[in-house]
Amino acid sequence: MKLRLTLLLVIAMLLGLIPSVSAQGGEIALTMGSWRVDDVAQMQVILDAFHAAYPNITITFDPTNPPDYNATLRTQLEGGTAPDLFYLRSYATSRQLFEEGYLEPLGDLPGLMENFTEAARAPWATDDGLPYGVPFIAVSHGVYYNIDLFNELGLEVPQTWEELLAVAQKIKDAGYDPFANASGDEWTIAEIVFMNIAPTFIGGYEGRQAYLNGERCFNDEHAVAVFQAVADLAPFLPEGQEALTYYDSQQLFLMGEAAMWLGGSWDIPFFESEAPDFEWSVFGIPAPEGQEQRYVTFHMDAGMGLNAAAPDDHKEAAKLFLEWMTTPEFATLMGDTLPGFFPISNHPIELSNPHANAFLALNEGAGLDVRWAWEKLLDGQPDGYTLMQNGALAVIAGTMTPQEAADALQEGLAQWFEPAQKCPAGM
Amino acid sequence: MANSVLAPARASEQVEITRWDVQRRRTWVLFLIPALLIYTIFMAFPLFNSMRLSFYQGQGLTPDRYVGLENYVTLFTNPLWRDRFFNAVGNTFVFFAIHMLVQNTLGLLFATLLSNTRLFGRNVYRAIIFTPATMSVLVTGFLWTLILNPRWGMLNQVLEWIGLGALARPWLGDANLALPTISLVSSWQWVGLPTMMFLAGLLTISDELSEAARVDGASAWQIFWRIKLPLLRPTIGIVSVLTFIGNFNAFDVIFAMAGARGEPAYATDLLATFFYRTAIAGEHPVAQPNMGLGAAVATCTFLILLTGVSLWLRFGRGGEETLAG
Repeated sequence: MKLRLTLLLVIAMLLGLIPSVSAQGGEIALTMGSWRVDDVAQMQVILDAFHAAYPNITITFDPTNPPDYNATLRTQLEGGTAPDLFYLRSYATSRQLFEEGYLEPLGDLPGLMENFTEAARAPWATDDGLPYGVPFIAVSHGVYYNIDLFNELGLEVPQTWEELLAVAQKIKDAGYDPFANASGDEWTIAEIVFMNIAPTFIGGYEGRQAYLNGERCFNDEHAVAVFQAVADLAPFLPEGQEALTYYDSQQLFLMGEAAMWLGGSWDIPFFESEAPDFEWSVFGIPAPEGQEQRYVTFHMDAGMGLNAAAPDDHKEAAKLFLEWMTTPEFATLMGDTLPGFFPISNHPIELSNPHANAFLALNEGAGLDVRWAWEKLLDGQPDGYTLMQNGALAVIAGTMTPQEAADALQEGLAQWFEPAQKCPAGM
Repeated sequence: MANSVLAPARASEQVEITRWDVQRRRTWVLFLIPALLIYTIFMAFPLFNSMRLSFYQGQGLTPDRYVGLENYVTLFTNPLWRDRFFNAVGNTFVFFAIHMLVQNTLGLLFATLLSNTRLFGRNVYRAIIFTPATMSVLVTGFLWTLILNPRWGMLNQVLEWIGLGALARPWLGDANLALPTISLVSSWQWVGLPTMMFLAGLLTISDELSEAARVDGASAWQIFWRIKLPLLRPTIGIVSVLTFIGNFNAFDVIFAMAGARGEPAYATDLLATFFYRTAIAGEHPVAQPNMGLGAAVATCTFLILLTGVSLWLRFGRGGEETLAG
């Protein structure tokens, strides 16, 4: 017993020595913080590839439980124990970290300006365009559909919003659930229903910017149209949807009880592993009749930041990694290793996963934009996300009309968001 | 001379006794120190530190900007926080009321039945009633969400099967039903504890009292109502206070069955889940916790508990003494 304890202590001490030993050999060990606890194996593939290209740099992936990530990272940064590289949430959360001096500005990072568009850099850059993070991961949104069921019922992929509703009616008449979506987990209504269809009805990036600079009010006809679209879908949700969870929705779709599912690309690995033989594909949210332009919610989810307090040799090594992140090799490797998560750089890439390619194909000819609430609307209370979520839920439950839900959104944001305050009250 | 020799001896003996007495008293204090230290470090200090935090603001885990009563002003006057806070307080009282009404009444009923020595299979019933209390809330909560699932759940299927399909509901998705449903699940889980306490209380009541009453012609109902229940009053008081404290700190069952946001539409949001979102997790998707404000919520919860327990100590215990006297 005592011997074993001593042995353990010796091993522990030896382990403690390893970094200093390797540092003597000119090697550098970096750590990377993340909220993606599910991606440990996949990130190892990516980090191994980097290690093969830069043999003297080793990066250890050290993720934190997602709900605790923001608070943990902040505590680590304040206490000087933060990792050298870490995942950055888009927009406000990391902007605040940069403003407090925890993030290294990356304006001179080779490859960053050339390989990413301004819109792609924006979630991790100041208003003047100074970047403090390398765009890393985007997720896409669309409508999953059951190919066999569509064939069985003789249905075509709908080209307009009206056709989508007609298809849904036919599926309902045939005794299936048209959509698997449900409000038992409230965030799903916000993120994969409301913000999935919003760009189509508010006119994508340009439309969203018009709200952010005060040209539009949050209860104008376009905002009402988004809530109206949610109301259009409500009768086609499964019975008891008030209490069905995200997991229930996934199962309804997998079991073929529901024909469609408004969902996000991050579920590709889940569906592939749960039901390898299940034939499904995805189509984009169709535009309403008379509208030419299609839109896809292509959300900038994660960037990579560099700890401003890291020692100089670590910073140098970390910058090599960040530079590597801007290359087409990285983009392809990442897209292939993490199906459902897409690189943001403007290299034309070819992915090996057909489902991931199906999602990526939706982007062709479509206007791309992030989820509506993320830019600026999360910076105050009550935040746009909660207002949109509550409004959409109320519209589905039938306790609010689309107009009332949009009015509540406008009224809530006008409490703190200056551009929204120009709108006449009680409109 | 002899006297003068004796006198100091006696006096010194007296001194000896007093010194021994004092020493004994000191030892007595020494025995208290370990417990006092542990209590101070792990209970009193965090409690007072949390109260201190409620006067501070700042990012991260160590708010450092003194703001006086601002957190409390925000909590009580800013409609964003005020509505959530009072909603949580109200829900917690409903949660507590249902436990008092269902869990403790059933506990008393079960205990009375189990205290009947002629009851066949007493130990089996006792084990069955107590088993849920030995299981993890996360497990039972998850199992109940499966039973209550509107699509595949057993409950609605059974209702359908016995011809009461019209009563089937999305139990956890209906804002009016979710909190009562979860309270009943929690009552089901914990009913074993009050049962055991009431049973222990009933077993201490001498059979002679019941026998004497029976000889005097009292019915079983009268014996329960007039003899056993009054003698159980101290136990009832303790069970009520424990339920009160447990319910006002309840978090796990809501977290397991409705999530940390108290879905649907904050209908199941209790003080503890509200505190968790405010101080620890932050609101999705921003997830920036506000420690200072969270500490204010915790302090308010503590004050509610303190008031409740003090009231019991003042009035509940008074009754116990009159009963004993």
